[in-house]
Amino acid sequence: MNVLEIQNLTKKFGDFIAVDNMSLSVAEGEIFGFLGTNGAGKSTTINMIAGLLRSNDGTIEILGKNSRFAKMNLGMVPQDLAIYEDMTAFENVKFFAGLYGLRGNLLKERVEEALEFVGLEDKHKSYPKSFSGGMKRRLNIACSIAHRPKLIIMDEPTVGIDPQSRNYILNSVRKLNEMGCTIIYTSHYMEEVEEICTRVAIIDHGKIIAEGTKDQLKSIITNTKDIWIEVRSAEQLNLESVKEIHGVEAVQLEDNVLKINSDTGVNNLNKIIEHLINHQIEIRSCEEKAPNLETVFLTLTGRNLRDH
Amino acid sequence: MNVFLIAWKEIKTSFRDLRTLLFLIAFPILLMLVLGTALTNAFSTSITVDEMKVLYKDTTHADYFKQFVEQAKKSGIQFKEVSVNINGKNEVKQGKYHGYIETDPNGIQLYLNNKTSIEGNILQGMLSAYVDQYNIASVIIKTNPEKMEDAFSREKQDDFIKETSLLPGKQPSSMDYYAIATTTLIILFGSLNASSLIVSERTRKTADRLIASPVSKSEIFIGKVLGGLVTNILCVLLVVFFSKLVFKANWGDHLGLVFLVLLTEIVFAVSLGIGISFLAKASGGPSIILMVAIQLAGFFGGAYYKIDNAEGLYKLLTDLSPLTWVNSSITKIIYSHDFSAAIPAIGFNLAGAIVFLLVAVISLQRREGL
Repeated sequence: MNVLEIQNLTKKFGDFIAVDNMSLSVAEGEIFGFLGTNGAGKSTTINMIAGLLRSNDGTIEILGKNSRFAKMNLGMVPQDLAIYEDMTAFENVKFFAGLYGLRGNLLKERVEEALEFVGLEDKHKSYPKSFSGGMKRRLNIACSIAHRPKLIIMDEPTVGIDPQSRNYILNSVRKLNEMGCTIIYTSHYMEEVEEICTRVAIIDHGKIIAEGTKDQLKSIITNTKDIWIEVRSAEQLNLESVKEIHGVEAVQLEDNVLKINSDTGVNNLNKIIEHLINHQIEIRSCEEKAPNLETVFLTLTGRNLRDH
Repeated sequence: MNVFLIAWKEIKTSFRDLRTLLFLIAFPILLMLVLGTALTNAFSTSITVDEMKVLYKDTTHADYFKQFVEQAKKSGIQFKEVSVNINGKNEVKQGKYHGYIETDPNGIQLYLNNKTSIEGNILQGMLSAYVDQYNIASVIIKTNPEKMEDAFSREKQDDFIKETSLLPGKQPSSMDYYAIATTTLIILFGSLNASSLIVSERTRKTADRLIASPVSKSEIFIGKVLGGLVTNILCVLLVVFFSKLVFKANWGDHLGLVFLVLLTEIVFAVSLGIGISFLAKASGGPSIILMVAIQLAGFFGGAYYKIDNAEGLYKLLTDLSPLTWVNSSITKIIYSHDFSAAIPAIGFNLAGAIVFLLVAVISLQRREGL
């Protein structure tokens, strides 16, 4: 059963097409990763699912409905912290859960449950202004789950927090999934998506350019391989000249590591090394990498996920 | 139900905000106290005159002038006959005496340091009255001396003029005036808080969460407006009762009608704030516009000083201030028991509120999100 069904969704801002005739479905029980660079149309799509933006065309159905019922079953964890600093943690969760029709003892139980879930049960009387960034992020999540939604949208829930809080949140996502929630997860951290998502869609220029399980996506690019060459300094190197080597599909330089995506059918390692030596580039190490989502993304979009 | 949930959240958080409490409660009370106390004289109907000292030189030695001096002394005026070696005019010039009177067979001369001073006017008046009576007495003696007793009988003299004060004791004191003026001014300042009712949800990013929940935009809007109204009403009630109980400000015998006028002003102010927040989209724009508008409305609406007999352009500007309408209406209800005076103020407030609410509702409908 599909929890989310999107058909031919389009959103324009003036002449700019942010989402272009997108169709997508998310099945019950999935942790669905949504990958795209800034401006790819990812947030616009999510905002339309949550009802924050109106589409120009197309339909969105949550659990087969597109009305108030759909919203009752939706939990939104916005990228920006959406909490009231002048209300305690308990009051924040209680207020938002109350908007979903919860009242009385049931409301109190659900609020306590949500705070316990994110590990803030001891801080229920504290105001968020005294919280760390990670605690605020966890409260942000608690405000979205107290009404036990069937579909939770998490838009970059780990931005700007310490590794400990990030692990806590990632474990929370898994737990919510085990409890029966379907989750749509967006992140700039490819390793997070690779770690927790069961299925991934890559969006670029408002269109889904690839969709499937991690293995399915990796299989798309089995005709390419990654070669990582660490160099002492690459100041004298022209990346475009590396791209001209037969078989090379894409080249990136990150922290003196030359990341080359190359055709598996072409044995060009010797030529690449020779090219570097000819340009007086000192090589420190060389490694051939197994393809990952980063590679898939780079191959399909020609850009790194964190490029702007 | 969600409307009340949102309204209650608004009221609760507003009263937790120290700035709101200071601004809507402490500030008007302080302003009332300062203006009401500092400008007491501007509203006083009585004048206190210090002890008056007068020098005189009587070369006629007439009984009438002696009697005049004796009578004047009873009124608390110190009369001192000038000694030979003292120049009375110089004494007055040096400010040692309020006046110097010289009588001789040719008449009476009065020398004053300041002819327009209250003391000078009193002395002039007393001497004029004395001279008039002296002249009348001279004429009566010449024509019919037997009637002298009747003419100067005290009883008959009292019947000539009857002085009646209109609405005695019904004029507002400075505290009474500023209790009304400051309360209505601070209600208008409430529009500043109202301007951030919706905007604050956007800046705190909670607007997205509200819209994502199963609550309609209209429910959010009504809840926020209701919360803003109740917050302002509670603050105004506190200010009014504080001024009544502590400052003994006169709010009249028809508090219900006065509150009705104040309530419509609160509705106007909250609507004004929300309307302007949708019209002026730039960050900080609504606050600047409202601050300028309120200061002008306060200045021309008599919030800082009493405006009497405005004319021409000045009158037009005072009439444009909503405070003029509300203050005038409340003053008439309190001091003239004129209930019909409430109608123009209520009409002005509600009509303005409808216009600004319509602006906000139409803008909200067109807008994506909150």
